[in-house]
Amino acid sequence: MADLRDHEVELRRVLQRVGAHAAFAEVMAQASQGESANIDSKSRRATTSPHIAGAIIRAWAGARWVEASSSSFDAKSLAAVADGLERDLRAARSSDPPPGESSTTVGESVARPARPMREMGLESEMERARDYFRWSMDVPGIKNVQAWVAWWDDERFYLNTAGARCYYVSGRVRANIAAIAVENGRTEFDYDSSGAIGGQEILEQMTEERARTLAQETVALLHAKSPPTGAMSVLLDGGTTGTFAHESFGHGTEADQFVRDRSYLKPILGQVVGPESLTIADDGSIPGAWGSIPFDDEGHRSGKTLMIDHGRFVGALHDRDSARALHAKATGNTRRSDFQSRAYVRMTNTYVEAGDWSFDELVQEAGDGVLLEHWTSGMEDPLGGQMQIKVRRGRRIEHGKLTDLVSSMALSGTVLRFLKDIRGVGNDNKFRMDSGFCGKGHGDYLPVGDGGPYLLSRAVVGPA
Amino acid sequence: MTTPRVTADTAVRVADRLRPVEPPWDVYGERIVTHEVHFGPRGVELVRGPLVLEGYGVRLLRPKEGKTAIGFNASTDTSDSGVAEVLAGAQSVARYSEFPAKDVQLPSGAGAGSPAPAVVDPHLWDNAPLALAQWTGALFAAFERSPDASVSFGSVKSRRVEATLSNSAGLSTGYAHTEVELEVAIKSAGGPEGAPAGEYWVTSFARRLEPERLPELAEQWSRFARDARHARPPPTGDLNVVLPPNVLEAILPQALSFKLSGRGRLRELSPAPGAEVASEGVDLFDDGTLPWAIGSSPVDDEGIPQRRRALIESGKSSELLYDTLYANALGGVTSGNGLRAGLDLTGRERFARIPGPACTTVSIPAGSGGSDRELIEAAGDGIWIQQIGWPSPDPITSGFGGEIRIGYRIRNGKLAEPVRGGTVGGLVLGPPGAPSLLANISVVGSSPVLTGGVSVPPLLVRGLTVAGEDVPGATASA
Repeated sequence: MADLRDHEVELRRVLQRVGAHAAFAEVMAQASQGESANIDSKSRRATTSPHIAGAIIRAWAGARWVEASSSSFDAKSLAAVADGLERDLRAARSSDPPPGESSTTVGESVARPARPMREMGLESEMERARDYFRWSMDVPGIKNVQAWVAWWDDERFYLNTAGARCYYVSGRVRANIAAIAVENGRTEFDYDSSGAIGGQEILEQMTEERARTLAQETVALLHAKSPPTGAMSVLLDGGTTGTFAHESFGHGTEADQFVRDRSYLKPILGQVVGPESLTIADDGSIPGAWGSIPFDDEGHRSGKTLMIDHGRFVGALHDRDSARALHAKATGNTRRSDFQSRAYVRMTNTYVEAGDWSFDELVQEAGDGVLLEHWTSGMEDPLGGQMQIKVRRGRRIEHGKLTDLVSSMALSGTVLRFLKDIRGVGNDNKFRMDSGFCGKGHGDYLPVGDGGPYLLSRAVVGPA
Repeated sequence: MTTPRVTADTAVRVADRLRPVEPPWDVYGERIVTHEVHFGPRGVELVRGPLVLEGYGVRLLRPKEGKTAIGFNASTDTSDSGVAEVLAGAQSVARYSEFPAKDVQLPSGAGAGSPAPAVVDPHLWDNAPLALAQWTGALFAAFERSPDASVSFGSVKSRRVEATLSNSAGLSTGYAHTEVELEVAIKSAGGPEGAPAGEYWVTSFARRLEPERLPELAEQWSRFARDARHARPPPTGDLNVVLPPNVLEAILPQALSFKLSGRGRLRELSPAPGAEVASEGVDLFDDGTLPWAIGSSPVDDEGIPQRRRALIESGKSSELLYDTLYANALGGVTSGNGLRAGLDLTGRERFARIPGPACTTVSIPAGSGGSDRELIEAAGDGIWIQQIGWPSPDPITSGFGGEIRIGYRIRNGKLAEPVRGGTVGGLVLGPPGAPSLLANISVVGSSPVLTGGVSVPPLLVRGLTVAGEDVPGATASA
């Protein structure tokens, strides 16, 4: 992998040029490299990730930010970027300083797992994917299995005119299995995955037992009942609880939306919004977690931010702009998908901390309702305070006991009401941080982690 | 303005270096220049551009024990060493790939097809920053007279793309196109009633900016945001539901790109030819020739001229979507649907993706249902779903579902109070005889609208499962 620091002279040159016309300027260079091995019953496919690298330069034009990028580091391309920005900056009517505090962080973080994926090789990666495939495909009733192994190294190099210099390389690794079962025209599928920052050891988390269990549960879905519909008690599994945290107080506390008066949460900062047992946090500094980053794309170190502390809404996620507007500090949550994407306030790893209810107690407390398992997607409504979460499967809960298996469902509800209706938070301290991808608006996807224990509340459930 | 000439020669330059390489191979190149304006309630927050990206993808097809090994690699480095690295990468991954096609032939020339559809917005092509600035100004002006609705967040992005394609069979072609990606959140707040603020959130993909439509759209969007403030959850049950084009856009392409394509057929997850998959009389096409459609182009991403394909005729499964490889594997011919985009056509860098069969524009012709008002009358009692949150159908089962962001109760054949919350969902396309969105279409509206990846009229679908705030009802039908 090329080292972006090799381009430091060119990047500093363009930063200096643009900085001469602005109160502040910054450059973020980014490159990635990776591979994947995919297999199903009809085909095998290996890929290497595209060799796409480039740099984006952002400058404060007195009243707003301007930025431009290039997918080439050659002097001519970078000069063209500087030319365009200089035109914009000369046309700016104000020379006011930029909002917030400019980072002066200097640091480097290069992940060095004991067995890096780059040393594994495509042949071994394909062999591993073939194992996953075979473990699931051998289960009677399975029609097809899609198994894949993927990894990529994300390299970022940040410089600004205030003196910050941050460099990091993080390697993300993911193992995935999707099992498909068909019977009498009915098709069902379910999935399992493991994803984290690290090396080859992450692939070993996907065991034969997990692969077989997934396949057996997928076959069982062929005889699952349709989900109940309407408002009812809902018991979320750990991954679904993590998705709830992400969609509710994750997106809801991205404070750029506070500045735009586009968050239902802004007026209730400081208030009690949930039970004492509920704590929600975002933490980009968890070692090895899928959404962790050493530095954000404004040069701030990542860290832990409490959003709900024992039921009280105490904090939000900030970039430099929102921190200035709301008299807070930047929280290390400014992220770009890549060198072509804009910087936004984004989550890293968002989770609900463990409470003190056992699973059996939660089921009994639910009375009648449904258990939701294996999340697939979620969506938030930052102004209206609604949320949506979709899952692949679940179980009915009747008279305090788990009963029929049910297939895919969508949960919908008002976040604040959902919080008020929380009746128990599970005591599972061994929850895993799931790996997913999050968009802001309609795009700008980047890796985020979600997690939590079982959580009992009330919401509307319907088919999906 | 005449169609702009393609000046970028990305694929040609790379192909020149690949001539000694054993065929078949192809190169897809793009030069993409992006401009964006991001705005908030107080106006423009960020101006971006030019964001320049030039890259290419090389695909190698190699015989392998009666099958085909596919090698692919992509890069932004067009130097000799960069191309050599990409070629080595493609050869490396080919060793571990296998696809059940044999003796694959790539097209030797862009044969005669329909006339090239209009896919270039001349204003964007000539001066994107100015066109975006004018559009943004027109957007804010359209809300100036609105007493209780305003823009709270959004962006308008334009991409000026020069796409080029060369292959070992002698094909060398290229075309220019523009893309527009729009996101606008409209907020309604204030007023004496003290109701909480409401929002209507619009996202769309198109070929051109249409600032002249903004006053009319602003009025509609404001109404939806206003109505969201006092909307209530819908009832629970299997209801008559009207789905307008913007909702169908989020459901149909993603599900049909798998279910009605070689991808699904190869994995035995597609309906059999002639199977009853939709209501009697329903016709559904994939049409890559519609002017201004985001899915239209002179040729697909393998160089096959675009055309219109009948996927469903009178409710029965008909043609399938194929690219070169899937057509070969299944004994057919490519339908010109070899696309280097996601199943919903939102792929940003096509050069970095390998082709696969997918819908261009899903088209349902005008039916006999008449106007929106007549459709509502036909529904009698039910719901008009104006927007649902991310229905994201899963391609394998075609199950979809999402929260109702804003809709309206239909009572006695008339639109009544707004609804919001709860979910609506089901299957897009089920096994013969089972309920699904397509099988339960009872009335097809008479005015198709082009929006994103669909050109369809509103549809009245009977018996879609809606879950609202009522006490849990009977389990929905399977």
